[in-house]
Amino acid sequence: MSRLYTPTILGLVLLFLIGPFVIIIAASLSAGETLAFPPDGLSLRWVIKVFEVESFRTSFGISMFLAIGGTLAALVLGIPAAYALARYKVPFGETIRTVVSAPIIVPGIIVGLALLRYLVVPFQFGILPALFLAHTALILPYAVRVVSASLNNLRGDIEEAAVLLGSSRTGAFFRVVMPNIRGGILAAFILGFVTSFNQVPVSLFLSGPGVRTLPIDMLAYMEITYDPSVAALSALLAFMSLGIVFLAERFLGFSRYV
Amino acid sequence: MFQNRAEAFALVLPAAVFAGVTFLVPVVVLLSEGFRGADGWTIQAYIDFFSHPLNRTVFVRTLKLAAMVTAVAAVIGYAAAFAIVNLPPKGKGRMIGLVVLPLMISPVARTYAWIVILGRTGIVNQALTSIGLSDEPIRFLFTETAVFIGLLQLFLPLMIISLVSALENMPRDAVPAARVLGANWFQVFWKVILPLTREGLVIGGTLVFTGSMTAYITPAILGGSKVLMLETLLYQRVTVANDFVAASVIALILIVMAFAANLLLKRLATARNKR
Repeated sequence: MSRLYTPTILGLVLLFLIGPFVIIIAASLSAGETLAFPPDGLSLRWVIKVFEVESFRTSFGISMFLAIGGTLAALVLGIPAAYALARYKVPFGETIRTVVSAPIIVPGIIVGLALLRYLVVPFQFGILPALFLAHTALILPYAVRVVSASLNNLRGDIEEAAVLLGSSRTGAFFRVVMPNIRGGILAAFILGFVTSFNQVPVSLFLSGPGVRTLPIDMLAYMEITYDPSVAALSALLAFMSLGIVFLAERFLGFSRYV
Repeated sequence: MFQNRAEAFALVLPAAVFAGVTFLVPVVVLLSEGFRGADGWTIQAYIDFFSHPLNRTVFVRTLKLAAMVTAVAAVIGYAAAFAIVNLPPKGKGRMIGLVVLPLMISPVARTYAWIVILGRTGIVNQALTSIGLSDEPIRFLFTETAVFIGLLQLFLPLMIISLVSALENMPRDAVPAARVLGANWFQVFWKVILPLTREGLVIGGTLVFTGSMTAYITPAILGGSKVLMLETLLYQRVTVANDFVAASVIALILIVMAFAANLLLKRLATARNKR
Protein backbone atom coordinates (compact mmCIF):
# COMPACT_ATOMS: atom_id res chain seq x y z
CA MET A 1 0.00 0.00 0.00
CA SER A 2 1.20 3.46 -0.79
CA ARG A 3 2.74 5.46 2.03
CA LEU A 4 0.39 8.34 1.34
CA TYR A 5 -2.70 6.20 1.88
CA THR A 6 -2.98 6.49 5.67
CA PRO A 7 -2.53 10.27 6.08
CA THR A 8 -4.73 11.06 3.08
CA ILE A 9 -7.69 8.93 4.04
CA LEU A 10 -7.55 9.84 7.73
CA GLY A 11 -7.14 13.52 6.90
CA LEU A 12 -10.20 13.46 4.66
CA VAL A 13 -12.31 11.56 7.19
CA LEU A 14 -11.37 13.96 9.99
CA LEU A 15 -12.04 16.95 7.74
CA PHE A 16 -15.52 15.57 7.09
CA LEU A 17 -16.25 14.66 10.72
CA ILE A 18 -14.57 17.49 12.65
CA GLY A 19 -14.31 20.24 10.01
CA PRO A 20 -17.93 21.40 10.40
CA PHE A 21 -17.30 22.19 14.09
CA VAL A 22 -14.35 24.39 13.25
CA ILE A 23 -16.58 26.27 10.83
CA ILE A 24 -19.36 26.63 13.39
CA ILE A 25 -16.94 27.98 15.98
CA ALA A 26 -15.57 30.47 13.45
CA ALA A 27 -19.06 31.52 12.31
CA SER A 28 -20.14 32.09 15.92
CA LEU A 29 -17.32 34.60 16.42
CA SER A 30 -18.61 36.75 13.58
CA ALA A 31 -19.27 40.46 14.14
CA GLY A 32 -21.80 40.57 11.29
CA GLU A 33 -25.57 40.30 11.40
CA THR A 34 -26.01 37.04 9.51
CA LEU A 35 -24.50 33.62 9.51
CA ALA A 36 -21.38 33.60 7.36
CA PHE A 37 -18.08 31.87 6.88
CA PRO A 38 -15.48 33.28 6.84
CA PRO A 39 -16.93 35.55 9.56
CA ASP A 40 -17.28 39.32 8.98
CA GLY A 41 -14.80 40.51 11.58
CA LEU A 42 -14.39 39.02 15.01
CA SER A 43 -16.46 39.61 18.14
CA LEU A 44 -18.03 37.83 21.04
CA ARG A 45 -21.41 39.54 20.60
CA TRP A 46 -23.26 36.37 19.55
CA VAL A 47 -21.73 34.33 22.33
CA ILE A 48 -22.95 36.98 24.78
CA LYS A 49 -26.34 37.12 23.07
CA VAL A 50 -26.84 33.39 23.79
CA PHE A 51 -26.84 34.12 27.51
CA GLU A 52 -29.26 37.02 27.08
CA VAL A 53 -31.97 35.09 25.24
CA GLU A 54 -34.59 34.34 27.88
CA SER A 55 -35.93 31.17 26.23
CA PHE A 56 -32.45 29.64 25.93
CA ARG A 57 -31.91 30.12 29.66
CA THR A 58 -35.23 28.48 30.55
CA SER A 59 -34.84 25.58 28.15
CA PHE A 60 -31.25 25.01 29.27
CA GLY A 61 -32.54 24.66 32.83
CA ILE A 62 -35.22 22.21 31.72
CA SER A 63 -32.77 20.13 29.70
CA MET A 64 -30.37 20.03 32.67
CA PHE A 65 -33.16 18.98 35.02
CA LEU A 66 -34.28 16.21 32.65
CA ALA A 67 -30.77 14.97 31.96
CA ILE A 68 -29.70 14.86 35.61
CA GLY A 69 -33.04 13.87 37.17
CA GLY A 70 -33.95 11.41 34.43
CA THR A 71 -30.57 9.72 34.60
CA LEU A 72 -30.73 9.43 38.40
CA ALA A 73 -34.24 7.95 38.19
CA ALA A 74 -33.11 5.52 35.49
CA LEU A 75 -30.20 4.43 37.69
CA VAL A 76 -32.46 3.95 40.73
CA LEU A 77 -34.66 1.66 38.61
CA GLY A 78 -31.88 0.16 36.53
CA ILE A 79 -29.23 -0.80 39.10
CA PRO A 80 -31.46 -3.25 41.05
CA ALA A 81 -32.79 -4.68 37.77
CA ALA A 82 -29.28 -5.15 36.36
CA TYR A 83 -28.20 -6.73 39.67
CA ALA A 84 -31.12 -9.17 39.69
CA LEU A 85 -30.58 -10.10 36.03
CA ALA A 86 -26.89 -10.74 36.66
CA ARG A 87 -27.06 -12.57 39.99
CA TYR A 88 -30.48 -14.23 40.27
CA LYS A 89 -32.40 -16.73 38.20
CA VAL A 90 -35.13 -14.28 37.27
CA PRO A 91 -38.34 -15.84 35.92
CA PHE A 92 -38.93 -14.44 32.40
CA GLY A 93 -35.53 -12.79 32.66
CA GLU A 94 -35.04 -12.49 28.89
CA THR A 95 -38.51 -11.00 28.37
CA ILE A 96 -37.89 -8.44 31.08
CA ARG A 97 -34.53 -7.54 29.55
CA THR A 98 -36.22 -7.02 26.18
CA VAL A 99 -38.99 -4.84 27.63
CA VAL A 100 -36.52 -2.71 29.54
CA SER A 101 -34.22 -2.21 26.55
CA ALA A 102 -36.92 -1.73 23.89
CA PRO A 103 -36.81 2.11 24.06
CA ILE A 104 -33.41 1.95 22.33
CA ILE A 105 -34.87 0.31 19.21
CA VAL A 106 -38.24 2.06 18.97
CA PRO A 107 -37.87 5.56 17.47
CA GLY A 108 -38.19 8.28 20.11
CA ILE A 109 -40.74 10.30 18.17
CA ILE A 110 -43.23 7.44 18.59
CA VAL A 111 -42.67 7.28 22.35
CA GLY A 112 -43.22 11.04 22.64
CA LEU A 113 -46.38 10.95 20.56
CA ALA A 114 -47.79 7.96 22.47
CA LEU A 115 -47.22 9.68 25.82
CA LEU A 116 -48.79 12.90 24.59
CA ARG A 117 -51.84 11.12 23.27
CA TYR A 118 -52.52 8.62 26.06
CA LEU A 119 -51.09 10.29 29.13
CA VAL A 120 -50.93 14.07 28.78
CA VAL A 121 -54.17 14.71 26.90
CA PRO A 122 -56.62 12.30 28.59
CA PHE A 123 -55.33 12.61 32.16
CA GLN A 124 -54.31 16.29 32.17
CA PHE A 125 -50.82 15.07 33.01
CA GLY A 126 -48.26 17.89 33.03
CA ILE A 127 -45.84 18.25 30.12
CA LEU A 128 -42.79 18.43 32.36
CA PRO A 129 -43.57 15.22 34.32
CA ALA A 130 -44.36 13.50 31.01
CA LEU A 131 -41.00 14.65 29.60
CA PHE A 132 -39.36 13.35 32.77
CA LEU A 133 -40.98 9.91 32.34
CA ALA A 134 -40.05 9.77 28.65
CA HIS A 135 -36.42 10.69 29.29
CA THR A 136 -36.18 8.19 32.15
CA ALA A 137 -37.58 5.41 29.92
CA LEU A 138 -35.10 6.38 27.22
CA ILE A 139 -32.07 6.27 29.55
CA LEU A 140 -33.13 3.08 31.35
CA PRO A 141 -31.72 0.71 28.67
CA TYR A 142 -28.30 2.40 28.86
CA ALA A 143 -28.32 2.25 32.65
CA VAL A 144 -29.20 -1.45 32.69
CA ARG A 145 -26.71 -2.31 29.96
CA VAL A 146 -23.68 -0.46 31.29
CA VAL A 147 -24.27 -1.53 34.91
CA SER A 148 -24.86 -5.14 33.75
CA ALA A 149 -21.55 -5.08 31.91
CA SER A 150 -19.65 -4.00 34.99
CA LEU A 151 -21.51 -6.53 37.17
CA ASN A 152 -20.53 -9.28 34.75
CA ASN A 153 -16.90 -8.30 35.18
CA LEU A 154 -17.20 -8.66 38.94
CA ARG A 155 -16.99 -12.12 40.43
CA GLY A 156 -20.27 -13.17 42.02
CA ASP A 157 -18.63 -15.17 44.78
CA ILE A 158 -17.32 -12.16 46.68
CA GLU A 159 -20.87 -11.28 47.77
CA GLU A 160 -21.55 -14.89 48.61
CA ALA A 161 -18.43 -14.77 50.77
CA ALA A 162 -19.71 -11.60 52.46
CA VAL A 163 -23.07 -13.25 53.14
CA LEU A 164 -21.40 -16.39 54.52
CA LEU A 165 -19.33 -14.20 56.81
CA GLY A 166 -22.53 -12.85 58.32
CA SER A 167 -23.41 -9.77 56.27
CA SER A 168 -27.01 -9.32 55.19
CA ARG A 169 -27.79 -9.45 51.45
CA THR A 170 -28.45 -5.71 51.39
CA GLY A 171 -25.34 -5.01 53.41
CA ALA A 172 -23.27 -7.10 51.02
CA PHE A 173 -24.67 -5.17 48.08
CA PHE A 174 -23.91 -1.73 49.51
CA ARG A 175 -20.55 -2.56 51.10
CA VAL A 176 -19.11 -5.04 48.62
CA VAL A 177 -20.80 -4.70 45.24
CA MET A 178 -21.44 -0.95 45.03
CA PRO A 179 -17.83 0.17 45.62
CA ASN A 180 -16.73 -2.22 42.88
CA ILE A 181 -19.18 -1.06 40.21
CA ARG A 182 -18.87 2.66 41.01
CA GLY A 183 -16.99 3.27 37.75
CA GLY A 184 -19.70 1.56 35.72
CA ILE A 185 -22.42 3.58 37.43
CA LEU A 186 -20.60 6.84 36.72
CA ALA A 187 -20.10 5.81 33.10
CA ALA A 188 -23.82 5.01 32.86
CA PHE A 189 -24.60 8.41 34.36
CA ILE A 190 -22.48 10.27 31.82
CA LEU A 191 -23.85 8.26 28.90
CA GLY A 192 -27.41 8.82 30.12
CA PHE A 193 -26.81 12.53 30.67
CA VAL A 194 -25.38 13.08 27.19
CA THR A 195 -28.13 10.97 25.56
CA SER A 196 -30.91 12.82 27.34
CA PHE A 197 -29.43 16.29 26.88
CA ASN A 198 -29.00 15.82 23.12
CA GLN A 199 -32.31 14.04 22.63
CA VAL A 200 -34.75 15.60 20.16
CA PRO A 201 -37.38 13.15 18.83
CA VAL A 202 -38.75 12.10 22.25
CA SER A 203 -39.29 15.72 23.29
CA LEU A 204 -40.69 16.86 19.95
CA PHE A 205 -44.35 16.35 20.78
CA LEU A 206 -43.89 16.92 24.50
CA SER A 207 -43.50 20.68 24.36
CA GLY A 208 -45.88 23.22 25.76
CA PRO A 209 -45.99 26.88 26.61
CA GLY A 210 -42.77 27.64 28.47
CA VAL A 211 -41.75 23.99 28.55
CA ARG A 212 -39.19 23.11 25.90
CA THR A 213 -35.89 21.32 25.95
CA LEU A 214 -32.87 23.21 24.67
CA PRO A 215 -32.42 21.34 21.35
CA ILE A 216 -36.12 21.84 20.54
CA ASP A 217 -35.80 25.51 21.39
CA MET A 218 -32.80 25.77 19.07
CA LEU A 219 -34.77 24.17 16.23
CA ALA A 220 -37.59 26.66 16.77
CA TYR A 221 -35.21 29.64 16.97
CA MET A 222 -33.46 28.52 13.80
CA GLU A 223 -36.69 28.70 11.85
CA ILE A 224 -37.29 32.38 12.57
CA THR A 225 -33.81 33.90 12.63
CA TYR A 226 -30.66 33.55 10.63
CA ASP A 227 -28.26 35.20 13.06
CA PRO A 228 -25.14 33.45 14.36
CA SER A 229 -26.49 32.96 17.91
CA VAL A 230 -27.50 29.34 17.22
CA ALA A 231 -23.97 28.75 15.91
CA ALA A 232 -22.59 30.26 19.11
CA LEU A 233 -24.86 28.10 21.24
CA SER A 234 -23.94 25.01 19.20
CA ALA A 235 -20.27 25.76 19.75
CA LEU A 236 -20.83 26.23 23.50
CA LEU A 237 -22.73 22.94 23.74
CA ALA A 238 -20.02 21.15 21.78
CA PHE A 239 -17.43 22.44 24.27
CA MET A 240 -19.61 21.37 27.18
CA SER A 241 -19.89 17.80 25.80
CA LEU A 242 -16.19 17.67 25.09
CA GLY A 243 -15.41 18.88 28.59
CA ILE A 244 -17.59 16.19 30.15
CA VAL A 245 -16.11 13.45 27.99
CA PHE A 246 -12.56 14.67 28.58
CA LEU A 247 -13.02 14.70 32.37
CA ALA A 248 -14.70 11.29 32.29
CA GLU A 249 -11.90 9.80 30.20
CA ARG A 250 -9.28 11.41 32.42
CA PHE A 251 -10.65 10.20 35.73
CA LEU A 252 -12.52 7.07 34.76
CA GLY A 253 -11.13 5.69 31.55
CA PHE A 254 -14.69 6.16 30.31
CA SER A 255 -14.10 4.38 26.98
CA ARG A 256 -13.66 1.07 28.80
CA TYR A 257 -17.34 1.05 29.66
CA VAL A 258 -19.02 2.15 26.45
CA MET B 1 -26.48 -17.42 41.44
CA PHE B 2 -29.09 -16.67 44.08
CA GLN B 3 -32.27 -18.71 43.91
CA ASN B 4 -34.80 -16.56 45.78
CA ARG B 5 -37.52 -15.80 43.23
CA ALA B 6 -39.41 -13.30 45.38
CA GLU B 7 -36.27 -11.24 45.90
CA ALA B 8 -35.41 -11.39 42.22
CA PHE B 9 -38.89 -10.20 41.29
CA ALA B 10 -38.80 -7.37 43.81
CA LEU B 11 -35.57 -6.12 42.25
CA VAL B 12 -36.62 -6.21 38.58
CA LEU B 13 -40.26 -5.30 39.03
CA PRO B 14 -39.91 -1.49 39.37
CA ALA B 15 -37.90 -1.21 36.15
CA ALA B 16 -40.13 -3.65 34.25
CA VAL B 17 -43.36 -1.98 35.38
CA PHE B 18 -41.96 1.46 34.61
CA ALA B 19 -40.89 0.47 31.09
CA GLY B 20 -44.23 -1.29 30.57
CA VAL B 21 -46.41 1.62 31.69
CA THR B 22 -44.49 4.58 30.25
CA PHE B 23 -43.32 2.85 27.12
CA LEU B 24 -44.77 -0.46 26.04
CA VAL B 25 -48.49 0.16 26.69
CA PRO B 26 -48.71 3.65 25.12
CA VAL B 27 -46.74 2.54 22.05
CA VAL B 28 -48.88 -0.58 21.56
CA VAL B 29 -52.09 1.45 21.91
CA LEU B 30 -50.75 3.95 19.38
CA LEU B 31 -49.94 1.15 16.93
CA SER B 32 -53.37 -0.42 17.37
CA GLU B 33 -55.01 2.84 16.35
CA GLY B 34 -53.95 2.25 12.73
CA PHE B 35 -55.97 -0.97 12.59
CA ARG B 36 -59.16 0.37 14.13
CA GLY B 37 -62.07 0.90 11.76
CA ALA B 38 -65.68 1.99 12.22
CA ASP B 39 -66.70 -1.66 12.58
CA GLY B 40 -63.85 -3.77 13.93
CA TRP B 41 -60.27 -4.27 12.85
CA THR B 42 -59.16 -3.31 9.36
CA ILE B 43 -56.04 -2.54 7.32
CA GLN B 44 -57.84 0.23 5.43
CA ALA B 45 -55.52 2.88 6.93
CA TYR B 46 -52.53 1.11 5.39
CA ILE B 47 -54.21 0.89 1.99
CA ASP B 48 -55.08 4.59 2.19
CA PHE B 49 -51.56 5.48 3.25
CA PHE B 50 -49.86 3.69 0.38
CA SER B 51 -52.38 4.81 -2.22
CA HIS B 52 -51.23 8.39 -1.68
CA PRO B 53 -48.35 9.19 -4.09
CA LEU B 54 -46.63 11.59 -1.64
CA ASN B 55 -46.55 8.91 1.06
CA ARG B 56 -45.12 6.37 -1.37
CA THR B 57 -42.43 8.84 -2.44
CA VAL B 58 -41.47 9.51 1.17
CA PHE B 59 -41.41 5.79 1.98
CA VAL B 60 -39.18 4.95 -0.99
CA ARG B 61 -36.95 7.99 -0.36
CA THR B 62 -36.42 7.00 3.27
CA LEU B 63 -35.37 3.47 2.32
CA LYS B 64 -33.20 4.72 -0.54
CA LEU B 65 -31.37 7.35 1.54
CA ALA B 66 -30.82 4.91 4.42
CA ALA B 67 -29.44 2.27 2.01
CA MET B 68 -27.18 4.79 0.25
CA VAL B 69 -25.82 6.20 3.51
CA THR B 70 -25.12 2.66 4.74
CA ALA B 71 -23.33 1.66 1.51
CA VAL B 72 -21.17 4.79 1.33
CA ALA B 73 -20.41 4.61 5.06
CA ALA B 74 -19.27 0.99 4.57
CA VAL B 75 -16.86 1.95 1.76
CA ILE B 76 -15.40 4.95 3.62
CA GLY B 77 -15.52 2.93 6.84
CA TYR B 78 -13.32 0.14 5.47
CA ALA B 79 -10.85 2.62 3.99
CA ALA B 80 -10.60 4.53 7.29
CA ALA B 81 -10.62 1.47 9.53
CA PHE B 82 -7.67 -0.02 7.59
CA ALA B 83 -5.65 3.11 8.03
CA ILE B 84 -6.53 3.29 11.75
CA VAL B 85 -5.68 -0.35 12.48
CA ASN B 86 -2.24 0.07 10.93
CA LEU B 87 -1.34 3.08 13.08
CA PRO B 88 1.03 2.71 16.05
CA PRO B 89 -0.92 2.07 19.33
CA LYS B 90 -0.78 5.65 20.62
CA GLY B 91 -1.92 7.18 17.35
CA LYS B 92 -4.63 4.55 17.07
CA GLY B 93 -6.14 5.49 20.43
CA ARG B 94 -6.10 9.20 19.58
CA MET B 95 -7.60 8.63 16.16
CA ILE B 96 -10.43 6.50 17.56
CA GLY B 97 -11.06 9.22 20.13
CA LEU B 98 -11.33 11.84 17.37
CA VAL B 99 -13.70 9.66 15.35
CA VAL B 100 -15.97 9.00 18.35
CA LEU B 101 -15.91 12.60 19.58
CA PRO B 102 -18.70 13.91 17.30
CA LEU B 103 -21.07 11.26 18.72
CA MET B 104 -21.05 13.10 22.03
CA ILE B 105 -22.03 16.43 20.52
CA SER B 106 -25.63 17.55 20.01
CA PRO B 107 -26.94 16.37 16.62
CA VAL B 108 -28.64 19.75 16.25
CA ALA B 109 -25.25 21.45 16.44
CA ARG B 110 -23.73 18.89 14.09
CA THR B 111 -26.44 19.35 11.50
CA TYR B 112 -26.54 23.13 11.85
CA ALA B 113 -22.95 23.33 10.62
CA TRP B 114 -24.09 22.14 7.20
CA ILE B 115 -26.31 25.21 6.83
CA VAL B 116 -23.18 27.35 7.10
CA ILE B 117 -21.41 25.16 4.57
CA LEU B 118 -24.16 24.45 2.04
CA GLY B 119 -26.32 27.57 2.33
CA ARG B 120 -26.80 30.20 -0.41
CA THR B 121 -23.90 32.24 0.93
CA GLY B 122 -22.13 29.19 2.30
CA ILE B 123 -18.56 28.10 1.69
CA VAL B 124 -19.33 25.76 -1.19
CA ASN B 125 -21.29 28.38 -3.10
CA GLN B 126 -18.66 31.08 -2.45
CA ALA B 127 -15.98 28.77 -3.79
CA LEU B 128 -18.03 27.81 -6.85
CA THR B 129 -18.85 31.41 -7.80
CA SER B 130 -15.36 32.75 -7.11
CA ILE B 131 -13.66 30.26 -9.40
CA GLY B 132 -16.33 30.89 -12.00
CA LEU B 133 -17.88 27.44 -12.06
CA SER B 134 -21.30 28.87 -11.43
CA ASP B 135 -22.79 32.33 -11.98
CA GLU B 136 -25.39 32.20 -9.26
CA PRO B 137 -25.57 30.25 -6.01
CA ILE B 138 -26.68 26.64 -6.40
CA ARG B 139 -29.37 25.41 -4.04
CA PHE B 140 -27.93 22.62 -1.91
CA LEU B 141 -30.10 23.04 1.15
CA PHE B 142 -33.46 21.28 1.07
CA THR B 143 -32.22 18.69 -1.42
CA GLU B 144 -31.72 14.97 -0.98
CA THR B 145 -27.98 15.54 -1.39
CA ALA B 146 -27.89 17.77 1.69
CA VAL B 147 -29.83 15.23 3.75
CA PHE B 148 -27.53 12.48 2.51
CA ILE B 149 -24.39 14.41 3.51
CA GLY B 150 -25.84 15.27 6.91
CA LEU B 151 -26.82 11.68 7.65
CA LEU B 152 -23.46 10.35 6.49
CA GLN B 153 -21.61 12.72 8.80
CA LEU B 154 -23.90 11.81 11.68
CA PHE B 155 -23.53 8.03 11.39
CA LEU B 156 -20.12 7.39 9.80
CA PRO B 157 -18.36 7.14 13.21
CA LEU B 158 -20.56 4.16 14.17
CA MET B 159 -19.47 2.28 11.03
CA ILE B 160 -15.79 3.14 11.50
CA ILE B 161 -15.61 1.94 15.11
CA SER B 162 -17.50 -1.28 14.29
CA LEU B 163 -15.08 -2.03 11.44
CA VAL B 164 -12.00 -1.10 13.48
CA SER B 165 -12.87 -3.65 16.15
CA ALA B 166 -13.69 -6.27 13.48
CA LEU B 167 -10.35 -5.72 11.73
CA GLU B 168 -8.49 -5.88 15.03
CA ASN B 169 -10.01 -9.28 15.78
CA MET B 170 -8.93 -10.63 12.41
CA PRO B 171 -5.96 -13.05 12.49
CA ARG B 172 -2.82 -10.93 11.97
CA ASP B 173 -1.31 -13.09 9.22
CA ALA B 174 -4.44 -13.70 7.10
CA VAL B 175 -3.73 -10.83 4.70
CA PRO B 176 0.03 -11.45 4.24
CA ALA B 177 -0.70 -15.16 3.74
CA ALA B 178 -3.20 -14.45 0.97
CA ARG B 179 -0.74 -12.01 -0.64
CA VAL B 180 2.08 -14.58 -0.55
CA LEU B 181 -0.21 -17.11 -2.18
CA GLY B 182 -0.73 -14.70 -5.06
CA ALA B 183 -4.03 -12.95 -4.39
CA ASN B 184 -4.37 -9.36 -5.62
CA TRP B 185 -5.77 -6.64 -3.35
CA PHE B 186 -9.26 -7.03 -4.78
CA GLN B 187 -9.24 -10.78 -4.06
CA VAL B 188 -7.75 -10.19 -0.62
CA PHE B 189 -10.61 -7.88 0.27
CA TRP B 190 -13.37 -10.00 -1.25
CA LYS B 191 -12.17 -13.46 -0.18
CA VAL B 192 -10.33 -12.80 3.07
CA ILE B 193 -11.14 -9.50 4.74
CA LEU B 194 -14.85 -9.27 3.96
CA PRO B 195 -15.76 -12.76 5.25
CA LEU B 196 -13.62 -12.27 8.36
CA THR B 197 -15.06 -8.86 9.23
CA ARG B 198 -18.64 -9.57 8.18
CA GLU B 199 -19.91 -9.41 11.73
CA GLY B 200 -18.50 -5.93 12.30
CA LEU B 201 -19.93 -4.79 8.98
CA VAL B 202 -23.32 -6.14 9.98
CA ILE B 203 -23.28 -4.38 13.35
CA GLY B 204 -22.12 -1.09 11.84
CA GLY B 205 -24.55 -1.46 8.94
CA THR B 206 -27.53 -2.06 11.21
CA LEU B 207 -26.66 0.95 13.35
CA VAL B 208 -26.22 3.23 10.34
CA PHE B 209 -29.26 1.95 8.46
CA THR B 210 -31.75 2.11 11.32
CA GLY B 211 -30.23 5.38 12.51
CA SER B 212 -30.67 7.01 9.08
CA MET B 213 -34.13 5.58 8.60
CA THR B 214 -35.42 6.90 11.90
CA ALA B 215 -33.54 10.21 11.79
CA TYR B 216 -35.56 13.31 12.53
CA ILE B 217 -33.16 16.24 13.00
CA THR B 218 -31.23 15.93 9.74
CA PRO B 219 -34.22 15.79 7.36
CA ALA B 220 -35.96 18.47 9.43
CA ILE B 221 -33.07 20.97 9.18
CA LEU B 222 -31.51 20.07 5.82
CA GLY B 223 -34.55 18.72 4.00
CA GLY B 224 -37.41 20.81 5.30
CA SER B 225 -40.82 20.17 3.79
CA LYS B 226 -39.25 19.64 0.36
CA VAL B 227 -37.40 16.47 1.28
CA LEU B 228 -39.65 14.72 3.78
CA MET B 229 -38.57 11.45 5.34
CA LEU B 230 -40.83 9.14 7.34
CA GLU B 231 -40.22 10.84 10.71
CA THR B 232 -40.65 14.38 9.38
CA LEU B 233 -43.78 13.20 7.55
CA LEU B 234 -45.13 11.76 10.80
CA TYR B 235 -44.50 15.06 12.59
CA GLN B 236 -46.16 16.98 9.79
CA ARG B 237 -49.23 14.71 9.69
CA VAL B 238 -49.78 15.25 13.42
CA THR B 239 -49.04 18.97 13.69
CA VAL B 240 -50.61 20.11 10.41
CA ALA B 241 -53.51 17.71 9.95
CA ASN B 242 -54.03 16.15 13.40
CA ASP B 243 -53.99 12.84 11.52
CA PHE B 244 -53.21 10.28 14.20
CA VAL B 245 -54.16 7.34 12.01
CA ALA B 246 -51.44 8.16 9.47
CA ALA B 247 -49.05 8.74 12.38
CA SER B 248 -49.83 5.28 13.70
CA VAL B 249 -49.26 3.76 10.26
CA ILE B 250 -45.87 5.48 9.91
CA ALA B 251 -44.95 4.46 13.46
CA LEU B 252 -45.59 0.80 12.69
CA ILE B 253 -43.65 1.02 9.42
CA LEU B 254 -40.66 2.51 11.26
CA ILE B 255 -40.75 -0.07 14.04
CA VAL B 256 -41.20 -3.02 11.65
CA MET B 257 -38.38 -1.81 9.42
CA ALA B 258 -36.05 -1.27 12.37
CA PHE B 259 -36.69 -4.80 13.64
CA ALA B 260 -36.56 -6.29 10.12
CA ALA B 261 -33.20 -4.64 9.42
CA ASN B 262 -31.88 -6.13 12.64
CA LEU B 263 -33.14 -9.62 11.81
CA LEU B 264 -32.15 -9.61 8.16
CA LEU B 265 -28.62 -8.46 8.80
CA LYS B 266 -28.24 -10.94 11.65
CA ARG B 267 -29.37 -13.72 9.33
CA LEU B 268 -26.91 -12.61 6.61
CA ALA B 269 -24.08 -12.68 9.10
CA THR B 270 -24.76 -16.19 10.37
CA ALA B 271 -25.49 -17.64 6.92
CA ARG B 272 -22.06 -16.55 5.68
CA ASN B 273 -20.22 -17.76 8.73
CA LYS B 274 -21.56 -21.29 8.39
CA ARG B 275 -19.91 -21.92 5.05
